[in-house]
Amino acid sequence: MSNKKVSKKDITKLLSQWSQQFTVLVPSKESGVAEMAEWDGKDTSFLDWYRNTVVPPKASFLPPMEEMFHFQKDKEGYRIELPPNEHKQLIFSIRPCDARALAIIDANFKDLYQDPYYLSKRKSAVLVGLGCTNPSQSCFCTSLGISPAESTDVDLMLTDIGDQFLVEEITDKGKELIAKTSGLKEATKDDETKAKEAKEAASQRITRKINTEGIIDKLLASFDDKDYWEKIAAKCISCGVCTLLCPTCYCFDINDELVRQEGTRFRSLDSCSFPVYTKMPMENPRQEKWRRVRQKVCHKFGFFPMSFNVIACTGCGRCIRLCPVNWDITQTLASLPVKAEVGK
Amino acid sequence: MEQRLRQEARTLLEQGKVDWIIGFEPGSLKFTTTPLITKDKSDVQRLVINPFIVNNLAKFLIEIKGRVGIVAKGCDSRSIVSLIQDNKVIREDVVILAVPCTGVIDLSKVERLMGKDRDELDDITREGDKVIVKVDGEKREFPAPEALFDHCLACEFPTPQEYDILLGEPSSPIANPVAKEKIEKLKQMTPEQRWGFWKDELSRCIRCYACRNVCPACFCQRCFVEETEPQWALPVPRWQDNLIFQIVRNIHVAGRCTDCGECERACPAHIPLRSLTREMYDIVDELFHFKSGMDKEALPLMTHYEQEEAEDLFR
Repeated sequence: MSNKKVSKKDITKLLSQWSQQFTVLVPSKESGVAEMAEWDGKDTSFLDWYRNTVVPPKASFLPPMEEMFHFQKDKEGYRIELPPNEHKQLIFSIRPCDARALAIIDANFKDLYQDPYYLSKRKSAVLVGLGCTNPSQSCFCTSLGISPAESTDVDLMLTDIGDQFLVEEITDKGKELIAKTSGLKEATKDDETKAKEAKEAASQRITRKINTEGIIDKLLASFDDKDYWEKIAAKCISCGVCTLLCPTCYCFDINDELVRQEGTRFRSLDSCSFPVYTKMPMENPRQEKWRRVRQKVCHKFGFFPMSFNVIACTGCGRCIRLCPVNWDITQTLASLPVKAEVGK
Repeated sequence: MEQRLRQEARTLLEQGKVDWIIGFEPGSLKFTTTPLITKDKSDVQRLVINPFIVNNLAKFLIEIKGRVGIVAKGCDSRSIVSLIQDNKVIREDVVILAVPCTGVIDLSKVERLMGKDRDELDDITREGDKVIVKVDGEKREFPAPEALFDHCLACEFPTPQEYDILLGEPSSPIANPVAKEKIEKLKQMTPEQRWGFWKDELSRCIRCYACRNVCPACFCQRCFVEETEPQWALPVPRWQDNLIFQIVRNIHVAGRCTDCGECERACPAHIPLRSLTREMYDIVDELFHFKSGMDKEALPLMTHYEQEEAEDLFR
């Protein structure tokens, strides 16, 4: 398989072509926060400032809020009106951690259940990955089997090789897109070498590490150590930053807005950090903060891999970087008080 | 100052005067600190005081049980006093370890000054009225106000007025006009423009409630925004509901907000929340001649009424 390449100054032409067919999303700060937003047809300044977005790309598939349907009551009963559900998104320059995160969310919304809202966006989407050459100090993707500059979770993968990007076709979808795209050149052996070096250098730059060996057993063995979890949870303020902005967290809530005879049903992200998340009429099993912190850690690194055989964390580091009190998951995982023998 | 703090904290724990020490320790990322909440005297060696002690630790007094030795900057100490006014904290149960504050460094401002991400910077230090940033062997100096949080530039009482142990020489207010630039700009807008401004800003809100949860003035056991009967606002991040949440939160913290700026700093969506809270702070001062958290004997502003207020209030 021969790879292609594209000059950085030709990115505008490339995105323009794709815009004919897709809603092209690129990293943008236009709204005031870094997120994947519709390309304006000219701006490629993100190539300079972009390390990763604050809002993870999961927002393009599982938005912070979406309208599920509109309902109206008349003489014949309820009339349901579904929102337009045709999407054709192309996400340009998604990071390998965030692309893996979508594959992780798939386990729930595609494999275990078939969620129509998620799938209508996910199935039609094209992911064009861009390798990290300058990861953040909060990143720890390599500990989770992810390379900052390589990905099998995207359709096309781009690697920065100076004034050009090497373009690798990862899936058939990617191959088809490239076949219909003009302006790409064949990559040379030299380009391939450069890309290989860039990928290796990027991996070397990830210095934050976690040890996932036997993590499920360690968590289960530490589960009942209330003193430990209380200590770990002490500084947590129970806000939703780490979960709502986590690329793999997918918990949601459903609410109706009812005005007289009509209304709208909304789905929006929810967070296990909030006490109301588990509030029931008679009691709340996670009223205490340490139980919620424990849940978050155990779900990502214990219960999720127990069910789906993959850890629900990609080491993107958002939860560390954006936490108002610098609560650091890597420190928690490193300090688990394993009491039982691991691996039995 | 740091050595003194560690020694005082150790003594407090050793002599059984407090059960807990709440302070700051180095964070896990460059130029950060993180709250240290401990009963263990061997932990006090990790306590730090530096230009990155962002959090208002008074927040933790609301949930912690027992007597606490707490590190407080000027604004934080006022939040403690405000909690005493509201009967959420008993004065005798806290030992205030007062930091005469010279301002906290706003990393977003440093990033803008340098045109670089915080990760790429090698060092940021405060020396007198300068902030010095080192990157790739190069050294750049900025007048401190350019790199400090807006609320620090507006701070009236950087040295805690209520304290038990003062950890250094009192510091003086910076009083820099930049502190209110954003608010002044908003005031010059027409109501329509202002409406548009807040609509745009609040459209980014993800309802993580970081603003509420870092705020020591927000101590309701159940926030109005989580009520379902009646449901004042949907828990859906629509700008209209986000606006209701912010407006009501702002009214609820009136007379309690000490302009510590934590709401704005904690916001991952960069919503300029302090433009609301500081304006409320000034309105409270103007209408009621009340500055939050200054007098532990004072009644909470919104729980009492005085005859002479009428003239100013109902006009």
